[in-house]
Amino acid sequence: MNLALKDIGYHRFKFFSAVGGVGLMIMMVLVIGGVTRGMFDDSSDIITATGADLWVVEKDRQGPFVENSAIPEDYYHAVEVIPGVVHASPLVIAWESVARMPRMTPVMKAMYANALFTTQTMTEPGWMNMQSAQRFVVIGYKPGRMGGPVSLIAGRGIEADNYEIVADERAGFRVGERLRLKYHDYTVVGLTRNMVGFTADPVLYTTLKEAQSIVYKPDPDLLRDRRARSEQQAMLREKSLAPLMVEPVARRADAIAENTHFVNAIAVKLAPGAAVEDVKKAIARWKVLTVYTAAQEVNLQVMGSNRLTIFQMSVLRVFLGLIAAITVGQLIYTFTLDKIKEIATLKLLGAPVSRINGMILQQAILMAVLGTMIGAVLEQATESYFPRRVDASSGDIALTLLAMTLLSVLASLLAMRRAMKVDARSVLGV
Amino acid sequence: MENVIQAEHLVKVYGAGRTRNVVLSGIDMAVPAGALIGIMGPSGSGKSTLLHILGLVEEPTEGRLILDGEDIYAGGRADSNRLRREKIGFIFQFPNLIPFLTAKENVVLPMDLDGVNEEQARQRAGELLDYLGVAERADDLPEHMSGGEKQRVMIARALANKPKMILADEPTASLDAERGLSVMGVLRKIANEQRTAILVVTHDTRMIGEMDRIIHLQDGKVVDRPVGGAA
Repeated sequence: MNLALKDIGYHRFKFFSAVGGVGLMIMMVLVIGGVTRGMFDDSSDIITATGADLWVVEKDRQGPFVENSAIPEDYYHAVEVIPGVVHASPLVIAWESVARMPRMTPVMKAMYANALFTTQTMTEPGWMNMQSAQRFVVIGYKPGRMGGPVSLIAGRGIEADNYEIVADERAGFRVGERLRLKYHDYTVVGLTRNMVGFTADPVLYTTLKEAQSIVYKPDPDLLRDRRARSEQQAMLREKSLAPLMVEPVARRADAIAENTHFVNAIAVKLAPGAAVEDVKKAIARWKVLTVYTAAQEVNLQVMGSNRLTIFQMSVLRVFLGLIAAITVGQLIYTFTLDKIKEIATLKLLGAPVSRINGMILQQAILMAVLGTMIGAVLEQATESYFPRRVDASSGDIALTLLAMTLLSVLASLLAMRRAMKVDARSVLGV
Repeated sequence: MENVIQAEHLVKVYGAGRTRNVVLSGIDMAVPAGALIGIMGPSGSGKSTLLHILGLVEEPTEGRLILDGEDIYAGGRADSNRLRREKIGFIFQFPNLIPFLTAKENVVLPMDLDGVNEEQARQRAGELLDYLGVAERADDLPEHMSGGEKQRVMIARALANKPKMILADEPTASLDAERGLSVMGVLRKIANEQRTAILVVTHDTRMIGEMDRIIHLQDGKVVDRPVGGAA
């Protein structure tokens, strides 16, 4: 006769509501861990998915994912001929806004309402109004070279300059949808997955030329104004300049200013067995360039851009884990305290210590295992509703299960200690 | 007649020095099989302590205790759990049935703890419930039973492992006179038919008629020795 299960059957509402509570706490522990991992993944996937071994950026800059970097596009030809380099791909990577209402999941709507509620005393009226602009990471690449979408979940890839984009699914676009990016309309021809910036802004892939146009090409009105100013300044600065020379000089200056043939980085693929340090040294001979390995670039992004957020989430996770641990321990202990009279009766009836301890231990482990399973199922079921990527791995779940099992054993040891102190005489009144 | 339990010069002292309190001072008693013995006395007379010592939930400070021919503390510490399980049945004032077990499971429990085969245990539990007139309550939880029914189930549980001795603590205190007498009748029947020694701690003088003997305790001593008793 399994006393633990009999007791659970009798106190099923109490037990399963406790298990449900544990499950929700475990879910939150997993979600916080998943969000932290998701931030790490968001930061690294965009870099590692290209398959590049090295990232070449403007001198003393940290790279296109962390801060601005601009180098002439044609440098990639020179990089590609360095021994050990198989392939070099010029890339434009920049954050752009599009006049479009962000896609709101039900959870996001709830979070928005919650944010409005919690910040109402901190902000001016209207501060939290939802902006009808969505930010994206625009990545321009040369079709056939590194840097484009690695896999498609719908539609097709980009083959040539034709005002087409491949968007991450989190952007909320459908294949065939059109959007305005700077001066042109683009058609969404394909969708990819899990390609977002460290800010969680979805990636829009387009060709290098079109990305350069989006990122570097100035507004035509601004251009006209700039030309007029250039002519005026040339005349003022070059008093000795022949009047007929003013316009050509100004045009030349404008042509330099209007040049869009810049890229933010060059992704480099090395030959198998190539000496990374040798290639880095060879590229660094250009005094205007800095080279990072893919791992360094990921580290710069994770520990640079997201460092404080990841640290904060990790601390939050630890605290939440501690709260969950204390609560579960308390629940198990209380569940035992509620059975003190029955334990005293069992002792009086001559129940072996192992039988009483076994009952407590079984219930504790069952509560921990069921709670963790419910937490894991809830976490998996709600992952896609969160605005940012939540990536709780099976390893996280297994570790949580192990931790919860150990914790429940620990808590049940305390409960057993209490049970052993129960005096069998307490049921013999007189 | 062979004694089921025999106490020789039982002494129980709590505390030491100024707080020293002698609760039992040299109790001698013997209970033969099939006897129904009452233990009576005012509050503080040592009834509870005597019951605890006889029930092996407390050790005497001095003296010998022989249960079913076994000198309990002769070899040092006794395996009191096993002895309680195998040789003693308990009946309480308030029916301390396990609330999450049915009547039958409550009766099966002592046999289950003793390692009896489940099928045999269930069969015996059914027979005992039938013997005590509560067979129709076999699958009910204690919360759905009346006080008298619970008391009978508890008696069935006390009988489960065919104990040599039953210790009953005020078994009729929570029942009205009619049900109280009925329970005493059951105990009388058990003592007669199963040759079980039954010790009943009670304040209820109406039950005296059912007893073979009464042991009166006062200030930790037997003040009125039972007629023809072995003590």
